[in-house]
Amino acid sequence: MRGLHTFILLAFIVLALAYAPHLNAYWMHVAIIAMFYGILAASWSLLAGYAGLFSLGHMAFASIGGYTSGLLVKWYGIPIPLGMTAGVVMCCALGGLIGWVCLRMSGPYLAIFTLGFAEIVRIIFSTEDDVTAGMAGLHTERLFDTISRLPFFYTAFALLAVSLLCMGGIVRSRWGLFLRAIREDEQAAAASGVPVARLRILIFAIASGFAGLAGGFYSHYIGILTPSLGGLDLMALLIVMTVIGGMERLPTAVGGAFVVELLLEVLRGYEQWRLPIFGILLLLTMRFARNGLLAPLWLRFEQLGRAASIATSAADFTQKDLET
Amino acid sequence: MSGGTELIRGMRLVKRFGGIVANDTVELAVAEGDLIGLIGPNGSGKTTLINLLTGHLAPDYGEVFVHGRKVSGRPAHVYAAMGVARTFQLTQLFGRMTVIENMLVPGLARPYARWEATKRRARRHLEFLNLAHLEQLQAKSLSGGQQKLLELGRCLMLEPTILFLDEPFAGIHPHLRDDLIKRIQELHREGRTFVVVDHDMESILRISQRLVVMARGRKIADGSPADIKADQTVLAAYAGF
Repeated sequence: MRGLHTFILLAFIVLALAYAPHLNAYWMHVAIIAMFYGILAASWSLLAGYAGLFSLGHMAFASIGGYTSGLLVKWYGIPIPLGMTAGVVMCCALGGLIGWVCLRMSGPYLAIFTLGFAEIVRIIFSTEDDVTAGMAGLHTERLFDTISRLPFFYTAFALLAVSLLCMGGIVRSRWGLFLRAIREDEQAAAASGVPVARLRILIFAIASGFAGLAGGFYSHYIGILTPSLGGLDLMALLIVMTVIGGMERLPTAVGGAFVVELLLEVLRGYEQWRLPIFGILLLLTMRFARNGLLAPLWLRFEQLGRAASIATSAADFTQKDLET
Repeated sequence: MSGGTELIRGMRLVKRFGGIVANDTVELAVAEGDLIGLIGPNGSGKTTLINLLTGHLAPDYGEVFVHGRKVSGRPAHVYAAMGVARTFQLTQLFGRMTVIENMLVPGLARPYARWEATKRRARRHLEFLNLAHLEQLQAKSLSGGQQKLLELGRCLMLEPTILFLDEPFAGIHPHLRDDLIKRIQELHREGRTFVVVDHDMESILRISQRLVVMARGRKIADGSPADIKADQTVLAAYAGF
């Protein structure tokens, strides 16, 4: 039986979807971008939070997914969903390759290696302007030929929901347990029969695939793609979102993306001071709530479901007791 | 050897770390039913030998056979899948995972393992190790002795044919040490094979049927405890008794 929290969450989602058409274009755009970051934060949490692979190349994969799809659609006129699929496949293959190359790396070494990879990707996209239009930006075809943002909103929602269902399936399976074991101690995981190398490569490929999916959607939503999508600034923003939310759980990582994206807009009046505010928030999180600011709230929310479920079972039991 | 089927054999194993020869043409065969004490002074190459025989290190020279199959150079999880389990000199648990999750990892890594059956098996082993009441605690919050027991439990989840225990008695309370010895003896009676490395000679002599002595990366003696006690080479190299 599903807990009460699942039903509350479903009801909230239904309400949000029903209310979406009443949002103005500005807030709908904020919501769409929040969902784009939601996919990225969840997939980075899979990599860094669950498997302990602190990669700084995640936004580079979003960029690769975006450019692959944008260019294929532009050159060959293939349907956009097919272009996005090609972007995902490309990111899975490249992610697997990076995972294989950094098999023996972890912690700061892995972070520096993936940072180097991300910079190489960004510089290639910047300098190869015959192909990518460089910093001027690559004009990409939009997913829907309409000025309304509503179809994009529902598409972003569907992509986020499907991504979370797939990633949730992984973390709830034995593979999720093995990933956490790898994060805790690779040597002990191997001694326990976990195929560490295979899983590390696989999780790099899967997480990069989801980044590519987000990048593909972004490319065909915004309509213009610049190399800065894969830059360190946005990678830092993604880390802030995931860490503030809670990187060891998918829902808190997504929640972090939503909260930070919303705060970025709400605090826009503070201009350049809004970024130091996030810096301070990050410092406070690392000092006082290493599992993320949203993690304790999410745990309480989950317990609400369990408590209700236990109360129902207890009531059933008492009823049966009385009947006998 | 006890005369049972040969489970594992290391042949002419050589391992160097820079200029240091940690294992120098070491031969070791372990048969079903053995309970071997692997002893030697610090730096004699005992842990390196365990690492080589469990796939955590690849030998520079020589080969490892498990159940007659050559496996040297293969990753450690292949050894684990063939029933070779080990504990570590410094306990290595999945600290931020619960006790039951620590048990489930090796259990579910076995082919065709099912969640519910594995969970039942894990709980049985936890009861045997007197850890059942702690199953929802994070492994890092257990005491040192309990962590050693949990590491043994994690090994048992692999349904191993042979267990290598690296310094299981180090730094634990004498009472818990006696408990651990009792568990090892019980498991040995049930048919498990053990290779135990430790410096606690009293405990090693209590449980071992066969002693293997190492010094400066070489195996210098292999025989019954009585033979080893009388061996002049051992007495010269290892002044433990």
